[in-house]
Amino acid sequence: MTPEQIIFYVFAALVIISALLAVVVKSLVRSIFLFFVTLFAVAGLFVLSLGDFVAVTQIIVYVGGVLVLMLFAFMLSSKELLNTLELVKTRYSAVQNIPAIVLSLALFFILVFALVKSNVNQLDWINGGNHLSVSDNTVQIIGINLMTNYLFPFEVASVFLMMALIGAAHLARKDKAE
Amino acid sequence: MIPLSNFMMLSAALFVIGLYAVLVKRNVIQLLIGIEFMINAALINFVAAGKSDKNYMGGQMTALFTIVIAAASVAVALAIILNVYKYYKSIDPDKLNKLRD
Amino acid sequence: MEQHDIIPVVSLLAVLMPLLSFVLCMFFVPKSISGKVAVSSIAVSFIASCFVFFKIWNAGNIHIQHHWFTLGQTSWDVGLLLNNLSALMILLVSGIAFLVHIYSLAYMKGDENIDRYWGYLSLFCSSMLGLVIADNLLLIYIFWELVGFSSYLLIGFWRTRDAAVQANKKAFIMNRLGDLGFLLALMILYSQFGTLDIEKLFGDGGLFHLSQFTSGEWIAPLGHISYVWLLVCGFGFVFGALAKSAQFPLHTWLPDAMEGPTAVSSLIHAATMVAAGVFLLVRVSPIFDSTVLITIAVIGIFTAFMASTIALVQNDIKRILAYSTISQLGFMMLAIGIGNNGAAIFHLATHAFFKCLLFLCAGSVIHEMHYAKNKLDADCDHQDIRNMGGLRKMMPLTFVTMVIAALALCGIPLTSGYLSKDAILISSFEWATTRSFAAKLIPYLAMLTSWLTTFYIARLIFKVFYGELRIQGDKTERLIHEAPRFMLMPQLFLAVCSAFFLFSVNPLSYENTWLLKVFPGSVALERIHSYHTVIPALLNLFAVLIIYFAYIQYARKEKAMFRENTWLYNFALNGWYFDEFYHQAIVRPVTYVSKFSFSIDRKVIDGLVDIVGKSGVLLSSIAGWLDRKLIDGFVNLAGRAAAGLGNFFRSFQSGRIQYYLAVMIFVVLTFFVLRYFSPAI
Repeated sequence: MTPEQIIFYVFAALVIISALLAVVVKSLVRSIFLFFVTLFAVAGLFVLSLGDFVAVTQIIVYVGGVLVLMLFAFMLSSKELLNTLELVKTRYSAVQNIPAIVLSLALFFILVFALVKSNVNQLDWINGGNHLSVSDNTVQIIGINLMTNYLFPFEVASVFLMMALIGAAHLARKDKAE
Repeated sequence: MIPLSNFMMLSAALFVIGLYAVLVKRNVIQLLIGIEFMINAALINFVAAGKSDKNYMGGQMTALFTIVIAAASVAVALAIILNVYKYYKSIDPDKLNKLRD
Repeated sequence: MEQHDIIPVVSLLAVLMPLLSFVLCMFFVPKSISGKVAVSSIAVSFIASCFVFFKIWNAGNIHIQHHWFTLGQTSWDVGLLLNNLSALMILLVSGIAFLVHIYSLAYMKGDENIDRYWGYLSLFCSSMLGLVIADNLLLIYIFWELVGFSSYLLIGFWRTRDAAVQANKKAFIMNRLGDLGFLLALMILYSQFGTLDIEKLFGDGGLFHLSQFTSGEWIAPLGHISYVWLLVCGFGFVFGALAKSAQFPLHTWLPDAMEGPTAVSSLIHAATMVAAGVFLLVRVSPIFDSTVLITIAVIGIFTAFMASTIALVQNDIKRILAYSTISQLGFMMLAIGIGNNGAAIFHLATHAFFKCLLFLCAGSVIHEMHYAKNKLDADCDHQDIRNMGGLRKMMPLTFVTMVIAALALCGIPLTSGYLSKDAILISSFEWATTRSFAAKLIPYLAMLTSWLTTFYIARLIFKVFYGELRIQGDKTERLIHEAPRFMLMPQLFLAVCSAFFLFSVNPLSYENTWLLKVFPGSVALERIHSYHTVIPALLNLFAVLIIYFAYIQYARKEKAMFRENTWLYNFALNGWYFDEFYHQAIVRPVTYVSKFSFSIDRKVIDGLVDIVGKSGVLLSSIAGWLDRKLIDGFVNLAGRAAAGLGNFFRSFQSGRIQYYLAVMIFVVLTFFVLRYFSPAI
């Protein structure tokens, strides 16, 4: 077992465990925080895949942005919302879960099956293509690509963000005596 | 080197967990978290596959843009959730059933 | 038309006129004129029979036949046989019937069911007349039954009275018993000879005379059977005659038959129907061999003796006369038994007259007593002689005629009864001379019976007509007067007939009677001269003494001679306990058996029917349960299944987004599975 593999398995276990816990716990706060842990573990996995810039971006945007946004939205909403959140009924949850579990497992097996059958590891461009090495400067590559190959999506993404901003702001406005 | 299939299996598992959360949770915010899980699973996939693409950095670029989109969607979704709560007085997805037959 | 052809037609007329009257009186004619219809029809019948008698008597037989029906190989004819015997009987029967019809006009006046009475009486006359001129035994049997049936109807005429109903049932059943014997004899005769025609069987050169009796076998044209069957045949006829003529052991019906109207009693049970038995025996007399004849004689004399002892102590006027009838019929049977058919028929004729007269006079007395009783509102039996007395002052003509009849019954000289009774007694003595000691007892018993007869009839006369009237009341004597004219006239006529001159010129010797000359005795009897003088003298001397004795006892002393509580008295009073015996031995077991079978019928058969019914109900309830649970259950199941299915499918449209999402993923998964694992898609 190379250290690389050990790290991989540790981060993988972290992802899986925290994700599972996040979906199992009833309380919202706890699931948000477990989500937080999952995001960090995913970022670690990104680093392991030599995508360091993406990992950092994930931490900054996802953890620092999305997660914090959710926390603030949850915490700064009205009391009724909080109360409602606490009073989650658990009457039929045990029975209702079974179809969902079955479906999820079925999908998992299908995905794994497709994975195995398609023999992903032996693909030409994965085996023989130009791999990233550890000593590469990914930021530089990303920067160059962003301005040349992916310029259009870059611009569109900015417009999109503006749309989202305006839309969210409008949606969340307070209605004053309509 | 970690083979690609390991990453992909991991991503499949994360995706399925996110799907489970979407199907089961009684709280729309936890539903949202489930959706995020699914997005993150896709991200792992992209980045793991992008390791073998030095020219175009396709995987990592897509991952970046996806992160951006995901953030935007979360923002809009939370706004929608606030409005839904104002109307339905509840955030249980089962209660949001005015679209039924 | 030749005279020879008219006679059968006229005799047929005599038979059919009363039948026509029966039909008219029962169904068509109103009550007021039914009497006139009946009397006129019997008058026509009487005139026709007179004509037939004068033409046929001693002038040869007439035998007419006509084909009736064919059964397979055998053919039966119906016809009439007119010989001396039938001519005499037809005259006798229609004559007496005519007189009784006239009497009934007065006696039954005011009765509500008078049309039925005339109808039944006419039916009886028609059947009796038919019986005496029938030419074959089957026809005689048919008329025999009809006569029995009419007797049944007439005895029970007042059918609301229980005693009358019981009496007519008894009479009919006993008659039927006798008819079994008659039928058996008919069957034997038919199997032997193939015919039942009287002329063919018993006429000169008839089939019966041609049959031989050798060494215990009876050889006849058609059959070859043991001699015993001849005896059986004879006993069969005897049994039939015993029932009809009320001899021991089938005699108990006649005293009870007195429940009918007195006119009926006089016609049927004194003169005609009971004579049918004697008539039958005379018709078929060639069959009887010595064993049967002895039996007839013994039964006859025993019955005569028994009946006269019973008559000694009876108190009802009609019952005394009934037992007297039984006794006199016993004499006639005795005459047949000793072989003197002529004497039997002679006694039958004279007995018809004086017994009928006795009954008619008794009827007048009863009629007047009943009238007096109703006027006085007295509570007594108007037929009981102990309640009567001194009636000769109030009903002189009835008294005179009744005395004449009584003298005839006793056999006092100058009456017809003397002639016929002497004929029987003397010939019985002659018969017994050549026989054993036991046979010699019979004539002496006959003499004793004759003295007893004298005693009881004298008792009756003295108790009814002498002494003082025993019903008390104001001026009771003035209430009772002479009988009405229609009742008196027949009585007077019959009184004249009871005297000797109708039958013989010589009042003291019977041998010259024209009647007897025609019937030769079957067994030639040696005429023993001494018997012809000693016996009548002895008989009549004692008879006179007895009459005087009875006069002293009953007319003067007014005290009962016989102590009333001795065993002998009770034995005689209850008819030698024959009724009791028959009741215990026959009636009670039969009733028991019928009750038993009724209970079986009710429990077993009705039980079975009940079980079937209950099981039907059970089956139907089971079917109902099945229907309810299974069939309705199926229907309900279908309904519930549809509802469940509908509810199931309805739940798909719940509005829950997670549910919709799950369904979508399920469909996608299915697509993936089918894509990967099935080569088809």
